[in-house]
Amino acid sequence: MNKSLLLVIIILLLYSCQTVQPWQRGLLARPEMQLEPDRLQAKLHSQVYFSNEASSGDSEVAGAGCGCN
Amino acid sequence: MQLYTTSFQAMGCPCELRLFAGSAAVAQDAAAACISEARRFEQKYSRYLDTSVTSLINRSAGVSATPIDPETFSLLQYADVCYEQSQGLFDITSGVLRKVWNKDRQTLPGQAELNEITRLVGWDKVRLSESEFFLPQRGMEIDFGGVVKEYAADAIAMRVRSSGISAALVSLGGDIVTFGAQLAGAAWPVGIVHPTRKSSVIATIYLKDMALATSGGYARYFDLQGKRYSHLINPNTGWPVDSLLSVSVSTEQAVVAGSISSIALLYDRQEALEWLENCGCAYFAIDQDLSCYGNLGG
Amino acid sequence: MALTSAALALPAFSASVPDQVEIGIKTTAYRESDQNPESVLVGSVQRYDININQFYLITPIGRDWGLALDLSHESMSGASPWGTVSVVGANTQLVMSGATIEEARNELSVGVTRYFDTASLGLSLTRSEENDYNATAMAVNGEWDFNNRQSTLAVGLSYSTDSIEPSDALSFGRTLKQARRNASFSLAWTQVLNRASVLQSGFSVTQHNGYLSDPYKLRDIRPRQRLETAINFRYRRFMQRSDSSLHLDYRYYHDDFGIGSHTLRSAWYQNLTDQFQLIPSVRYYSQNQADFYVGGDDYGLAETVFQSSDYRLSGFGAVTFGLQGRFSQRDWSVSVNFERYLSAAGYALNASRAEHPGLLRFSLLSFGFDFRL
Repeated sequence: MNKSLLLVIIILLLYSCQTVQPWQRGLLARPEMQLEPDRLQAKLHSQVYFSNEASSGDSEVAGAGCGCN
Repeated sequence: MQLYTTSFQAMGCPCELRLFAGSAAVAQDAAAACISEARRFEQKYSRYLDTSVTSLINRSAGVSATPIDPETFSLLQYADVCYEQSQGLFDITSGVLRKVWNKDRQTLPGQAELNEITRLVGWDKVRLSESEFFLPQRGMEIDFGGVVKEYAADAIAMRVRSSGISAALVSLGGDIVTFGAQLAGAAWPVGIVHPTRKSSVIATIYLKDMALATSGGYARYFDLQGKRYSHLINPNTGWPVDSLLSVSVSTEQAVVAGSISSIALLYDRQEALEWLENCGCAYFAIDQDLSCYGNLGG
Repeated sequence: MALTSAALALPAFSASVPDQVEIGIKTTAYRESDQNPESVLVGSVQRYDININQFYLITPIGRDWGLALDLSHESMSGASPWGTVSVVGANTQLVMSGATIEEARNELSVGVTRYFDTASLGLSLTRSEENDYNATAMAVNGEWDFNNRQSTLAVGLSYSTDSIEPSDALSFGRTLKQARRNASFSLAWTQVLNRASVLQSGFSVTQHNGYLSDPYKLRDIRPRQRLETAINFRYRRFMQRSDSSLHLDYRYYHDDFGIGSHTLRSAWYQNLTDQFQLIPSVRYYSQNQADFYVGGDDYGLAETVFQSSDYRLSGFGAVTFGLQGRFSQRDWSVSVNFERYLSAAGYALNASRAEHPGLLRFSLLSFGFDFRL
């Protein structure tokens, strides 16, 4: 896994960001532009994948464990 | 869901509230809250009422600092940012210039008279702290034109929204805030009145979760020695500005739209169009030749 | 722009508190495909069927506070792998739990958030109960907006204690009661890139301590500690021309069991009309096996030597295809979602030699309803 390449991409993305005024955020405010547009589906996915795969870890800390893993 | 409409008079302007509600009782409650909030702003900030904070501050000019509450403080701070952003053109102490430039005037003022009056103008002279505001010279005045009415429209819309209404349009004398959509997702149409033919609409603007504020010199002007002067005066020179006829700006907050459009009218035509472009917001401007500019309406 | 940030400091705007009550329910049928009978030595060929019902409510409390409530109920039936046996001259075979297991899990989570001008602080408590597994978790989340609200820093801390009491422990000689503690820290930076795109970059560390083995497996001995780290990226971009939005999520995960994984998920939100939205999605996952993964349970090894034949610790890859349809009105929306998950050793980035016979295939079908008051 080439972490340094990813880091470079991220830094480039950050450098390329523009000033976006609050009145220009109409698109960003749309429901489908949210990080998690569907709260229950996000919870369902993390539960299903947590119980069937070895990996876990989201940007958002949430939930209690279960006996499924 | 049904559309309910209420008209009322506040802050010296015709006001209107349109909202979608499930029942007349819900709509009435929201309308009552809206009207009482509009009255509260009028009582608090109108310069025509002796008991308002504005009158109190103006009466105490050169005498003593006036205690202010957090809401007044934040509005004065907002006015401060407008002053900075407009390089001193938007100045809430410039209202005294009306004493020189008004429709009773028969001749152009002399430079001495202008110097005398511009001495009483200058936001940079005031003292503002979280608890007090002080105009240092007797005769200085503030007025919240271009700020409070727009902010009141925002605050009223917020209030209507927090009372559980999901779609409404609030208009305070042409400063309009909308949230939500009409039935079937339609935006709220708003007509911009033609600057010279008062009964016709020059452009229609569709608003959805956006606010619109319009400033126009044509609403108030006077003729002097064959030339037409607007009521908008450059506080630095003391002379009326020869600017755009009308500017409508749409942003998320009416208070921002209002100050962007008010500032635009204080620049001359070319600078005004540059300012509007630099703000990056949606606008619709009409110049003296009735040419239209901007990316709003059509 | 200075005017807007100044405006946002005015009292009427200083609350990003939820301004409406939101309620959502979702009911999901999760069906694992049956095990290939030839790979099962002893036991049932049927895997899990799970029915999941979820509910949430988010409501403002006064001007500055928000409350979130989440409930879920799962009822499971089916069998799960107990272990594997290497049979001479044949592939590894599974030993499945014999009788159909009937279980239920209930989870309740309550969170409160205090909103400030450019920050928020939240606290949540979660309790999950099963007949053989209980977990209690507490989490604290903080968010700060910077740079005219173009950047948001989120920090989260959580701690949970789990207790494991395997059923029928005495008759099968299983462990009687065990405990596990988990602590987690996460950091995420969300950046508005331009008026149509946002990127979140995140990092999380989780430490597990205690009993991490599977009490139902015949021979499953894992370390009593596990340190997991993950890096996440979430990118959202709106395309006005096609009236659609692209979601790209990537996660790199690594732990000290020796497992590393890549997860890439992409979803396309296509607005077809003002009311109707279609959302195809695809997810790819690949992990390598744990250091102590064994293809077949080795009863010759000492009980102090780590080993596990859990399919979740084997090397494999998985693909999920999903399609969701959503119909929205102003105050409510309904959605239907179908997903198909396929996993195989051959799908992994470094395809491993031997495939675990217990690798899953499942389908899920969800029906959801959300509304605002």
